[in-house]
This record gives sequence, C-alpha cells and structure tokens, in this order.
Amino acid sequence: MSDTVRSPAGQEEARYRALQAVDPRAPGALETFTTGLHDESWRVRHAAAEGLRRVPDAQGVTARLISVLGERGETGARNAAAEALAGMGPVATQPLVHLLEHEDPDQRKLAADILGQLGHPEVEDVLLRALSDGDLNVRVAAAEALGRMGGPAAARALEGLLDTPTPLLRLAALEGLASLKRAPPLERVMALVEDPALQRSALRLLGLYAPGVATERICRALASPVRSVREAALVALGTQAGALGPYERGELDAVARSVLGGIPGVTERVAQALDGEDVQVRAGALVAAGALGEASLAVPVAEVAREDRLLREVLFTLGQLGPDGRRLLLEGMGTLSLPARTVAAEALVLLVDATSVPELCALLEWAEDDLRAVVVRALGRTRSPQAVAPLVELLADPALSGIAARALEQLTVAHPLASLTALEAAVEQRATPAAVAVLGRLGGARVLPLLRRLARDEEASWRAAAVEAAGRVDGEAGLELARGALADESPRVRIAAVRSLGQQGGKEAATFLGLALKDEDRGVRVAAVEAVGAAGAKERSADLESLVRHGDSGLAMLAVRALTKLGTVGAGVLWDALSHPDAEVVKAALAALASAEASADGAALAVSLLGHPRWDVRVAAARVLGGLGRPECLLALEQALSVERDALARAALADAVARLSSGR
Amino acid sequence: MPRFDEGRPEMTLEEFRLLRDHVYAHCGILIHENMKFVMERRLWPRLEALGIQDFGSYHRYLRYDAQRHAELEAAVESLTTHETYFFREPAQLKAFCEELLPILEKRNAHTRRLRLWSAGCSSGEEAYTLAMLLKDSGRFNDWDVEVIGTDLSRRVLAVARRAEYGPSALRATPPDLLERYFIPVGVNRVRVRDDVKAWVNFGHHNLADVAGSQLVPRTDVVFCRNVMIYFDQAARRRVLGVIRDRLCPGGYLLLGHAENLLSLGADFELVHLKGDLVYRRPELPGGEGR
Ligand SMILES: C[S@@+](CC[C@H](N)C(=O)[O-])C[C@H]1O[C@@H](n2cnc3c(N)ncnc32)[C@H](O)[C@@H]1O
Repeated sequence: MSDTVRSPAGQEEARYRALQAVDPRAPGALETFTTGLHDESWRVRHAAAEGLRRVPDAQGVTARLISVLGERGETGARNAAAEALAGMGPVATQPLVHLLEHEDPDQRKLAADILGQLGHPEVEDVLLRALSDGDLNVRVAAAEALGRMGGPAAARALEGLLDTPTPLLRLAALEGLASLKRAPPLERVMALVEDPALQRSALRLLGLYAPGVATERICRALASPVRSVREAALVALGTQAGALGPYERGELDAVARSVLGGIPGVTERVAQALDGEDVQVRAGALVAAGALGEASLAVPVAEVAREDRLLREVLFTLGQLGPDGRRLLLEGMGTLSLPARTVAAEALVLLVDATSVPELCALLEWAEDDLRAVVVRALGRTRSPQAVAPLVELLADPALSGIAARALEQLTVAHPLASLTALEAAVEQRATPAAVAVLGRLGGARVLPLLRRLARDEEASWRAAAVEAAGRVDGEAGLELARGALADESPRVRIAAVRSLGQQGGKEAATFLGLALKDEDRGVRVAAVEAVGAAGAKERSADLESLVRHGDSGLAMLAVRALTKLGTVGAGVLWDALSHPDAEVVKAALAALASAEASADGAALAVSLLGHPRWDVRVAAARVLGGLGRPECLLALEQALSVERDALARAALADAVARLSSGR
Repeated sequence: MPRFDEGRPEMTLEEFRLLRDHVYAHCGILIHENMKFVMERRLWPRLEALGIQDFGSYHRYLRYDAQRHAELEAAVESLTTHETYFFREPAQLKAFCEELLPILEKRNAHTRRLRLWSAGCSSGEEAYTLAMLLKDSGRFNDWDVEVIGTDLSRRVLAVARRAEYGPSALRATPPDLLERYFIPVGVNRVRVRDDVKAWVNFGHHNLADVAGSQLVPRTDVVFCRNVMIYFDQAARRRVLGVIRDRLCPGGYLLLGHAENLLSLGADFELVHLKGDLVYRRPELPGGEGR
C-alpha cells in the first residue's frame, strides 16, 4: 500500500473515488450519496452532491435532500444538500416553496436561499410574501433571493425596503437592486450613501445612473480613508463609463476631473488601484486615470493590459494621457511587460507626431516582431520626411514589408519627392523587390523603363515585382510584360503576371487568363481564378464552372465567388456548389443566390439548406431568404426558427421572418 | 482624441465564431465571446501584414491558402496570453522546495537523475525559476538534471532562449536570488547565468498534439500552470492524458492556484502537502515504477 492511501489525504482520496464509482442508477445509491453529504471533506461532499443530481428518481432525491436541510448541527451536510438542491432544477421548486412554510425559521431561510439560486421567476410571489416573514433572517434571505432573480415586482418591493428601519434589509435591498441593475429614484440612493454601513452598496448602485450628480458623489468617495469604499466607488465609476461608448464620455470625464482634481493624493490611490486584484476596480481606476489625464500614470495604465478583458479601456485611457504620457510610455517601453508593451505601442501609433521619429526608430532596434509592426505604422503617421528612409529600409524585411509599403504611401502624400527619390535609390542598390512594388504604385509612367529592365532580371523576385508594378502603371505596358511573364519558368512570376492581368481586364487579358487557369501550379491557378473575377472576364465563365466541382475545395470556393462577381452563376453550378461537402463552397453559392435575380429556384435551394448541419450555413441561408423577400418561404423559416438552437442562427432566422412578415 | 479603432475592419459575430472554432480545433484554446474585441485587435496586424481586407477573407485564407499552416501559427501566437514572471506563486514554489524536492532526492537517489517539465512555459521564466530553485536547494548539484520548457508559441521560445529579462519579469524575484542567478546586461535588464541555462532546454510543443508529446521525455514533475485555464473541459482532458503519460509513475503535477482537476482528476491522486495541494500520477501497482 502506498503512503498516500494510509495518510488522511489518501483516505479522503479513497472515499472520493469510491463515491465517484457509485452508479447513480444502482439501488441504494441515494443513501450512499446522502451519507457522503455528511463527510468531513468538502471534496467528498461535493462529489456526493454531484452524484445525487444524477440519481434518476429526482423527486425522491429532492425529498431526501430537504430532510437533510433539517439536520441541525450538521452544517457541512446542510450546505452540501443546499448546493445539490440548487442544482436539481424545477423539480425542487415546489418542495422548497412548501418548506417556506416550515415552523423552523432556519429552514425557511435555507428555502429562500435556494429558491434564489434556482432563479425560477414563478416563485417571485412566494418570495415577495416571505418579505413579511416574522423572522428577520428569512426576510433578508428573501430579499437577497429576489435580488438574484426578480422581475419588476421584485424590484419595486426591494425599492420599498430602502426605507425600512432594519439596516440588514436595507443592505440586501441595495445589493439586490444593484444586481438587478434597477435604479430607484436617485435621491433615495443619495440619502443612503451617507450611511457608513450602506455606503459601499449604495455607491455601487450609483454606477447605474447617467453621468452628473451621481458621478460627483461617486468621485467624492475616492477621498475616503477606507479602501473598500474607494474600491466600491471605482467599481461604480467603471459601471457608469461602461454604459457609455468610449467616445461618449465627455460629461462623465469632466465631472470626474473636477472632483478628483481636488482630492489630495488621488494619483497614488489610482495607481494603487490600477495594480489591484479585482478587474472591476481596475476598470474604474482606468476611468479615473483617464479623467485626471495624469501622464505619470501612463505606465501603470499600460500594465493593466495584462488583463485581456480591459484592453479596450486601456487603449482609450492611454489616448487620454496626452503627449507627456506618450513620452513616458516610450521611455518606459523596455520595462513594460509584454502585453503592456503591445498596447503601449498601439496607443503610440495614435499619439505620434513629427518629433517622434527618433524614439520610434530606437524602438525598432530591439522590439519584438509584432511590436515592430506597430512601430512601422506609427512611423507612417508621423508625416515626417525623416520617416521615409527607415521605412524604405524596412521594405527589405519580409515580415514588415507590406505594412512598411502602406506607411510609405501615407508619407508620400505629404512628401512625394523625398519618398520617390529614396525608393529609386533603394531599387538601384537592389535593396529589395518590395521597393519596386511601391515605386510602381507611386512613380507613374516615369518608372516604366526601369520596370522593363527589371522584368528581365536574373532573380525571379525582381521580375515578379516589376511585372506586377507595371500593371498598375500602364495598361499597355502592363499587358505586354504580363504576357511575357506568363511563360516564365518561375510560378512566382506567373502569379504576378496573372494579378496584373486581373487589374487590366479586357479581351486579351481574358485570353491569357484562360491559359493561366490551366497552369500546372496550384498557386497560379488560384490567382487566375481570382483574377478572372477581378477582370470581369465573362468569357472565362465556362472554365470556372468546371472548377466548381473540383476536389480542392479552396479552388471550388474561389470559382463560385468569381462567378458571382461576373454575375454568371447558372442553376447547374448552384446545384453543384450547394451540394459540395465543404461549407465554405456552400456559403459562396448562397451568396451568389442573394446577388442573383430572385428566382423561385434559388429560394427553394436556400430553403433546403435551412436544415444544414452547420450553423454558419443555416445563418447564410436565412440571410439569403430574408433578402429574397419571397413570402412563400415564410412558413419554412418559421418552422426552422421553432427548432433552431444555435443563437446566431436563431437571430438570422428571426430577422428573416420579421423581414418577410413586414414585407420589407 | 484620435479613435483607437480608426479604419480597421470589424469582426462580425459569425466571423468570430468561425475563427474561434478554427483556433480551438488546432490547440484547444477556447476564446470566450466577450473576448471578440481582443481577438479583433490581435488579428488586425495579421490582416494588415497579408493585405487582407476583412475577417471573412482571413478565415478563408486560414482554410485554403498554401501558407495556411504558418498563418494559423501566427494567429494563435497573437491570440495567446504569455503573461509570466520569475518566482510566480511563491507559496507553491515553497512547498515544492521544502516538501517535494526531498522526496524526489530520495526517490531518485539510485539514478541521480531528475527531469522537470514546464508545460506552457511562455518566455521561460518558469523553467529558469525551477532550475534556480534546484540549484538553491543544494541537493542535486552533481546530478543529471534537466528542466524542459515547452510552448506552442515559437516567438516566446525565442525570448526564452535569449534568457534576457526586464523588470516586469523580475517583479517577484527575491533580491538575493537576483544577485545569485542573474548578470546585469544593461539598463534595467539582466541575463540568466550560464550554469542555470545549462540545465534548461526549450522546445516547441502543442499540448493538444498527443502524438507530438512523445518527444517530451518522461519527467518527475510537471508544472502546467495557467495554461489550461484557456481550454475547455474536453481539451483539458486530452492534455491531462498527455501529461499523465509523460509523468513517471509517482510523479507530480502542479497546476496554477486557480486551477484544479475537479471532475477530471480520475487519473491523478490528490496529495495534501503542508503548504499546497498537488496531484500525483499513481504508482504502478506493486512496484517502484521507474
Ligand atoms: C499565461 S502563460 C503561463 C506561463 C507560465 N506557465 C506561468 O504560469 O507563468 C500560458 C502559456 O501557455 C501557452 N499555451 C497555450 N496553449 C498551449 C498549447 N495548446 N500547447 C502549448 N502551450 C500552450 C501559451 O503560448 C502561453 O505562453
């Protein structure tokens, strides 16, 4: 026997396992589990409660559990029984309602507690009656229960309790209203917020009101010497801000700024809260930091990004901290945690100006790849001619060249000459083919000779870049280079040629694309399918149609999309696509239906997909049907809605039903 | 104030679900619906890098493009949280040092060999922490010791191998240990000392990849902390199977303090240390088990 089994822990383990091994359907299981409810270890009790939930005779189990609730002195067992009852569902409701009549107030209290956890709205009346129970604990438990699950009547009753002389009940009422998100008239809460015992709960409730008086009172609480009061205030501030969109916080921020500005030491307190455990407190601290516009908080604010859920707020707040905050962030980059560094960089993109280039370049020296991507974007936004050279250099980095190219385009608007010169120099020095692409986009006809020369380069990557760039510069030259490039031995160059043809359009391009569609390389074929769509080359429809049945579902899907673009999807193709095993092909076909003339056939096809095993196909089918506006489909949609379980599909179906019923 | 979501494509709920399911199938990471914003932000740079205009096209790219495997890795990379630091969860580490290490020293006295696995090691702080604790215990100095750090993300592994860290990674490191096991390499930055590094090896491993786990050697202790919180029940079960398989019989599994094996742990026994609860792979019946 191992040490573990002899040790108390091992014995616990053995009991735990024994309970897990019990078959809930076996005779005697009910009693075995009930005994387990009385075990000294919470883990074993928990396993017993779990087991009871699986015993088939739910009524018998409920009755047995209720009897355990009556065992005075057995606290652990009673709690476990309560937990199990809360997991029993509707079958437990009536027996518990009955228990609310028990002569022992303790049991009545437990009944109210559990009913609250069960959360069935139909017991609201019973709980409302329990608010006038002779025993205070029962009244409090009933108020708490109503706060968990109540409707309007519960909210009214809780509101009524705000005036009772019993502090405990007032507290339960405040908490309940806060959790129901029901705001009583503001004056009533404002009166309670001055009572130290109720302050925290009242503050949280204040978070439900529109900015203004409530904000002011909440912010004043940040002067409290009591930490938990300050935290409640921060939670409320976060709730207020959360109800508004991030860019609709003007009033709230103004009020908060005016009050917080007068509280000595508030910056340190906010900094401390930013570092706290509770997510809601941190959310509120972000609002406070932003309202204060306190640049020195930039680093702790960025660190809150370690909590994913607060990412949006962190970004917004960093934006509120202004240029000084930006400087601190830039200086602190090296000391920030990884997640903080990423959001800090994101925020910097928005805050940079022409003076930021040196700092951004310094960051490029050491930052991780994804950060560097952000820095590249920021360089584009500086609108400074100094940013041109580093960006041209970055075109040589495969991970960043796409982003660098776009950033350069931004700069070119402001500094066309500097950008072009730098790009030309880069091409002359054969820095990177990516520079050719940008040059082609920005340089116009004057770079054509250069592109012609590069199209004969020894290296495929330069040839490809030149061919694609020429297509953007000039139709005729583009076509000529593309034709030559279609015979290139490198698929990469052929793909560039195909893309260029896609941009040109016209009869000749269509002919060449026909050849490319039969290329031996899959990449070329994929590019050709897309290019046919882009070029509007209807003469290639038949080629695409034959691809719809292709075993490579990527090609099939692209073919359907391209045909849709061309507006030449025939019924036969649709049938093929709609019965394709890959859902993306089916969805592409549905999209074609939506854009084609609303045919009775199309509607029938879409209806047949309302029962498709994949939720996304059902969503797409419902959308199409909503769009086609054929009333005869209403019945099918309603039927589908009545059996649909997926939330997104339900929403799409409901929308389609609404559109068809209103004849929109 | 400039808007932080200026000009970026929005992710529809539908696109969110398709992308989420795709990621889940690959590595078991489950992204909750309230994280749509986070997902959208983390993937924007990917769309930007590829010149893709919207998330629907990105999903199709992940499914069909010739580069799809590399791109899925890049996507998962940007979606995972890599938060970690040295000497994280000190109470657990104390229990490990004071209670488990003596047991391991005794158990493995005849082989003088010790293997630890930091599964989901992120940028390496945890693996190095364990090596430092082993050194500090003075028990294993002339033993054959290896700490294996594995992670799904290649980017964090590169950081781990570089072994250079800043203040945020060191925020819980006791000053004397900082002195003993790191050397300064610039303003606010330090490097892990070579003798510690010599005990640590890093490798790429997706915990959801059952077959690939054969590359991880049998270990005496697995630390898998703050990793499974991102998985759903089914993925956890799979990963636990992998971990169990890679543990020597009688070997220990340590999870993050917010994690437990409730309703999953049939393959492990719960061991109450004085300072912590840990899990153990049961011994093989009637034997030493190694
Ligand atoms: C929050 S970090 C935890 C780091 C460290 N264990 C600690 O507790 O400080 C989680 C790590 O798990 C990794 N991870 C997530 N899913 C994984 C998977 N399926 N396989 C391997 N690693 C995974 C992530 O890349 C990330 O680095």
